[in-house]
Amino acid sequence: MARLQSRLDEFKKAFKSGAPPYNAEHEAIEKMHRATAELKSSGIEQQALKIGDCAPRFTLFNQDHVQVSSSDLLRQGPLVISFFRGHW
Amino acid sequence: MELEALQGIISEVRALGAQIVVLTPELERYTRALHKKLNLTFDMLTDLHLKTAEQFRLVFTLPDYLRDLYKSFGNALDRLHDEPEYRLPIPARYVVDKQGIIRAADVNADYTIRLEPSETLRQLRMLTGSLAALSLRA
Repeated sequence: MARLQSRLDEFKKAFKSGAPPYNAEHEAIEKMHRATAELKSSGIEQQALKIGDCAPRFTLFNQDHVQVSSSDLLRQGPLVISFFRGHW
Repeated sequence: MELEALQGIISEVRALGAQIVVLTPELERYTRALHKKLNLTFDMLTDLHLKTAEQFRLVFTLPDYLRDLYKSFGNALDRLHDEPEYRLPIPARYVVDKQGIIRAADVNADYTIRLEPSETLRQLRMLTGSLAALSLRA
């Protein structure tokens, strides 16, 4: 499998081109760039929890409506936690 | 794309005694469909109303002009996330050790940039390797 970032870059290039299948309008692309730049400069990356911080514990429902707790998982070993905004 | 890439390393992650969880504000009916479609073997957890993402300080509100654009694409976060305020988490991947301390953090406000899963694997190897070394000394 190609590297994740190269596949993301491919997608970005295709989207920015305005060509099918995405047919993105120039105006829309501009807005998305502006929003990302504003978010970057908002300092949110610096505010986020970082190395050395204690990870907040959570108990949440999984895709099968079963409760999963980070404490239970951590008892077994290290945990990778990935925040995903959505697949839309 | 990131979910498939994480799925690609899951067996190696488990071999190190570690686990992966993905937290998303999407409601369970959407995570269920996606989980099935991608044949994921790690859990996708619904972080309803971004309660946990807030504690990691990753939450932002979409500006009005982007909210309207997303709505025009059909990405209605009020429906998909029960999120009428149109807040989202910035993408982030953390490696947490058994004691609950963050040992690696990749946070990027630009959602088109993600850390390679191979790098996460390397971080886990270092972590589990260093733990083994510590327990030998103890």
